[in-house]
Amino acid sequence: MKKITAVGITVVVLLVMMTSAILLSRTPTTTSTARSIKVKGSTTVLPIAQAAAEAWMRAHPRDSIIVEGGGSGVGIAALIDGTCDIANSSRALKEEEKQKGLISHEIALDAVCVVVHQSNPIEGLTLEQVKRIFKGEITNWSEVGGPNLEIVVYTRESTSGTYETFESKVMARENITLRALTKSSNGEMVQAISGNPNGIGYVGIGYLAQARGVKALKINGVTPTPETVRNGTYPISRFLYMITKGQPEGLAKDFIDFVKSPEGQKIVEEQGFVRLP
Amino acid sequence: MKEKIRLKLSGKILTFPPASVSILAVFFIFIFVFSQGLPLFSKISPFNFFFNSTWRPTATPPSFGIVPLFLGSLLVTSLALLISVPLGLLGAIYIAEIANPKIKEQIKLTVEVLSGIPSVVYGFFGLRVLVPLVQKTFGLPTGETALTGGIVLSIMILPTILSLSEEAISSVPVEYKEASLAIGATKWRTIRSVTIPAAASGITAAIILGLGRAFGETIAVMMVTGGAPIIPTSIFSPVRTMTQTIAAEMGEAVFGSTHYNALFALGIVLFTVNLILNLLAIRLIKKKKW
Amino acid sequence: MVKSKIKLQTKKLNVWYGNMHVVKDFTLKIPEKKITAVIGPSGCGKSTFLRSLNRMVELVPGARVSGEILLDGENIYDKDVDETEIRLRIGMVFQKPNPFPKSIYENVAYGLKVRGITEEKKLRLLVEESLKKVGLWEEVRDRLNRSALELSGGQQQRLCIARALAVKPEVILMDEPCSSLDPIATAKIEDLLFELKKDYTIVIVTHNLQQAARVSDYTAFMYAGKLIEHGRTEEIFERPKNKITQDYITGRFG
Repeated sequence: MKKITAVGITVVVLLVMMTSAILLSRTPTTTSTARSIKVKGSTTVLPIAQAAAEAWMRAHPRDSIIVEGGGSGVGIAALIDGTCDIANSSRALKEEEKQKGLISHEIALDAVCVVVHQSNPIEGLTLEQVKRIFKGEITNWSEVGGPNLEIVVYTRESTSGTYETFESKVMARENITLRALTKSSNGEMVQAISGNPNGIGYVGIGYLAQARGVKALKINGVTPTPETVRNGTYPISRFLYMITKGQPEGLAKDFIDFVKSPEGQKIVEEQGFVRLP
Repeated sequence: MKEKIRLKLSGKILTFPPASVSILAVFFIFIFVFSQGLPLFSKISPFNFFFNSTWRPTATPPSFGIVPLFLGSLLVTSLALLISVPLGLLGAIYIAEIANPKIKEQIKLTVEVLSGIPSVVYGFFGLRVLVPLVQKTFGLPTGETALTGGIVLSIMILPTILSLSEEAISSVPVEYKEASLAIGATKWRTIRSVTIPAAASGITAAIILGLGRAFGETIAVMMVTGGAPIIPTSIFSPVRTMTQTIAAEMGEAVFGSTHYNALFALGIVLFTVNLILNLLAIRLIKKKKW
Repeated sequence: MVKSKIKLQTKKLNVWYGNMHVVKDFTLKIPEKKITAVIGPSGCGKSTFLRSLNRMVELVPGARVSGEILLDGENIYDKDVDETEIRLRIGMVFQKPNPFPKSIYENVAYGLKVRGITEEKKLRLLVEESLKKVGLWEEVRDRLNRSALELSGGQQQRLCIARALAVKPEVILMDEPCSSLDPIATAKIEDLLFELKKDYTIVIVTHNLQQAARVSDYTAFMYAGKLIEHGRTEEIFERPKNKITQDYITGRFG
């Protein structure tokens, strides 16, 4: 008799715990006293979103903004599924995404820089050369005026907005070689290139500032700087976006407006990106 | 008396739900993976999945060939076994038969600790230490290779193989060893001709378990094998495993898309391989029972 | 007292397991091609004594041996003596039958392979010879490749004897070989012993006094690690000189 009671109580307690866990895990809806939103997506936009969120929450302690990475594709998919409020994206919306009612808001400019190991003597390449290297047609650094070393191409996983921009602006939709090693974030890319003198890859200009051991190449003779990005002479540049499902409201609207404001744009620059023109 | 019957019955009633829940859970996951993966074959032909050597899920037009991924998983796992099975077996023999009790304790403790380390830590170690090391030692354009993955995996599965083999060897009845020694066989001959064969089923089970773990490992291999979906031509080739592919691409694949189905189809393949391995293990163990 | 040649003898043999003094100052002569039984109450050290004769006792961690054991006059505990060589000359059959988890054939062939014999034909011949000696050949000739574990207890024990005989030892040590067998199997093995003693020196440890009386030529009575009395079996059983021996044999204790 005692045994059954003991186990019975345990079972009831477990059930209660499970139920309350399920109930409490629901995303809290906004009330008049505290607001919260979830921001998810591009790892390129991530530092901007994080810094801006911190600044906002310092000024508005009752608001809560949770920022996550995962890649532009991940963020947009989550936005469509309804599991986040704002998607950070480093690429423009696709047609089918626009048709689902997604609206994009430009919040900054970014340049995708082609990077190599700092010991690589090459200073610059043409866009065509970069494309051919990434296609796998040029395989040795000596073919473009460098040392006699096999070129090791690094690229991003297809979930990345940086990848999408590179693909559209540099590859013109032609395929990157299957031999390219895949990295899952800007950070990993920098780490890989800084450790391999043979390597070539690409990162967002924001990551370049604190990157050690790599250098950005001139493309078509143009160095990636805020000016060349803003005036359009640097060929591999793009807008960064915050995307919402329908017009933004409440905290989402306030947050996006903040990022676009002079104070927000200052944060954009502090993170190594380029403010909107 | 009634008390006993009550307890027995309540024992059955209480243990049945949790046990069946776990079995049902696996069953439902199985069904889920199949349900999400099978639609792939209404969108592309099975030939184009199983025998295609190009994996380009986001290209136009996309290609979902599993061949490079499967070979990648296969190569890395094989390398891991090639390294860890001899080492694990020798280590097990040493611990079970040769080491004195104090050393035995130390080694067993170390193995326990090693087996508790999360895989991402191994991956990190592989990335920071092994990759540059392999690149330098073999003069390769990059150290992110199947070999590096194999080495990392072998360190990960070594504790499993070693401890299970050691248990199998220690469980061999001492009577067999005595009989062998009494005939005039040396200790080594006894180990070779009597102990190991007697422990064969346990050792095989250990190896298969290690194999299963290696095949399904995701994070650690992801960080060191380069992730290039090419058919490996040597152990120094970068590879992309099936598990890595699922982990890296699932986040982006839109629910219900062909890419999504293809990733689940990879899951089906993994499930099937696991099933075959387990059936093989059971067969082997049954066969060896004298 | 003993007219036949001495095959094996111990001189002031002492065995310790750690601090336990198990065999004390044991001096015994074992005559060639005779059966010597070692009897005594449980725990008196019989098995330990037996195992020191083929240097199996040193496998026990913490075991220590002092004194001499002479095989044909040479001390087997000498520093340059290889214990595996000794065990080829002094075989052992254990209390509980312990055939290998291999086929019947492989069990008997094992010792031969240890000896270095690898030629198929020769192996088959010698295996058959051994199995015939223990009277198993007719029973198993059609299933040599079947597992030895399929045999009955008595058959397994005879197989173990065949296995020991295959390497043609000079001495066979038996540690209560019939204690786990039924009377019929026991009888079969006792008959076998009469056959075997024509060619081998046998030392058998037994707690079965009737068996010792039936089977052995000489008997040694052991008590609390010491050799109390030793002599021809009839002498020991009918005219024991020591009171303890008498008490044991008449069943007062043990």
